[in-house]
Amino acid sequence: MSIVGEAMGRYAQGDMAAFVVVYDEVAPRLERFLRRHLREKAAIEDLIQQTFLQMHGARGSFIVGAEVLPWAFAIARRLMIDLGRQSKARHEECLEMDGDELAAGLAAPDSSNAEELMDAQETRSRLVAAFGQLSGPQRSAFELVKSEGLSHAEAATILGTTVSGIKLRLHRSYLALRAALSEPALTAAVASVGPGVAAAKLLAAEERR
Amino acid sequence: MSLSPDFKQRVLASVADMPAPTRAQVTRARAWLLACGVAGAIAIFFLEGGMRVTSRPPSLVALTSLGTAVIAGVGMWVLFTRGRSVLGRPGSRLLIAALASSVLFVAWRYRISASYGFIEAWPGRPGFRCLGLSVLTGALPLLGALLSWRRSVPVSPVATGAAFGAGAGLGSALLVDLWCPVSYLPHLLLGHLLPIGVLALLGGVLGSRILRIWWR
Repeated sequence: MSIVGEAMGRYAQGDMAAFVVVYDEVAPRLERFLRRHLREKAAIEDLIQQTFLQMHGARGSFIVGAEVLPWAFAIARRLMIDLGRQSKARHEECLEMDGDELAAGLAAPDSSNAEELMDAQETRSRLVAAFGQLSGPQRSAFELVKSEGLSHAEAATILGTTVSGIKLRLHRSYLALRAALSEPALTAAVASVGPGVAAAKLLAAEERR
Repeated sequence: MSLSPDFKQRVLASVADMPAPTRAQVTRARAWLLACGVAGAIAIFFLEGGMRVTSRPPSLVALTSLGTAVIAGVGMWVLFTRGRSVLGRPGSRLLIAALASSVLFVAWRYRISASYGFIEAWPGRPGFRCLGLSVLTGALPLLGALLSWRRSVPVSPVATGAAFGAGAGLGSALLVDLWCPVSYLPHLLLGHLLPIGVLALLGGVLGSRILRIWWR
């Protein structure tokens, strides 16, 4: 059993001190997850606080030995969707990725060679554009599996679909990303890692921004 | 951006301020709610006359009831429990469990009754009384299940509610099986199978309101 799973089990049985461990393990992951969908710091903090309040309120329903992160992500995702429905003004482009801003904010490559720099920027732009064109369900599946490291089964449960459905979404995401990298020179640039990992790295670069 | 220590303190304080039941308390509360629902269903069953053997051989009643109990028991276990995940079983698995156990239970009743030659139509018993009794006896355990899981299902509250409804329908099918002597197929479909669908629908509708999480 994971540390957070064990702590959540103790917390569900009434050990309030164990909540600190749950918070320390879950909060940074939630923040990273939510930051991909929301720009407003206050909204992100509201959602994280709400997610913990929901987990707290439902701690009696926690199954000892179960995974905590998929549960936390599922609650956060549900609340985020509700927030988007309730107040579109407060919720900035829920479940939408702004491709241009993402491209502008990506960390600059280390290369000093102007040609390589341009190639890298072009690759990045293509990947970001391709990622932005993925459907919402495809992006969600990609983020949960590739960026958050959840299993196919966990992502399927969070998104309310089957494992096959998740695999299909990931496959289509890879196809779209691969198509964006179809030119030989660009393909070679990410050949060592593959389009999925390359796009995941781009997302990670955006997070470091 | 990273979360500040102040924010952490704020979350810890808000959690400390909000009372939340522990696992033991929740288990007790659920047991009470479900027991009340089941007790209500059994009370209605006995008010309507309880077990009626009529002209059926006791062995037929025992066989159909025993088979229904096993099928409904397995179906209810899958539909009411959450498995090893806090998020519950996948919707596709719930759907398969609900469909398989419902069809299997009717098929069992019909097959066993046919072997005894008790599948003829009963004039004036199309199945509406069974339909009413099934929905009534299933509604109380369904309500108990929905209330015991209120505001705690972040994924697919409709599917979870529908699964609870189908599970409650299977439970009521067991009671009505003891009550109803008719095994004519159209009667079984209307009076015994349809209520499971009606309760699943009711569970889905109520589940979307009662089970889903709301901002606190």
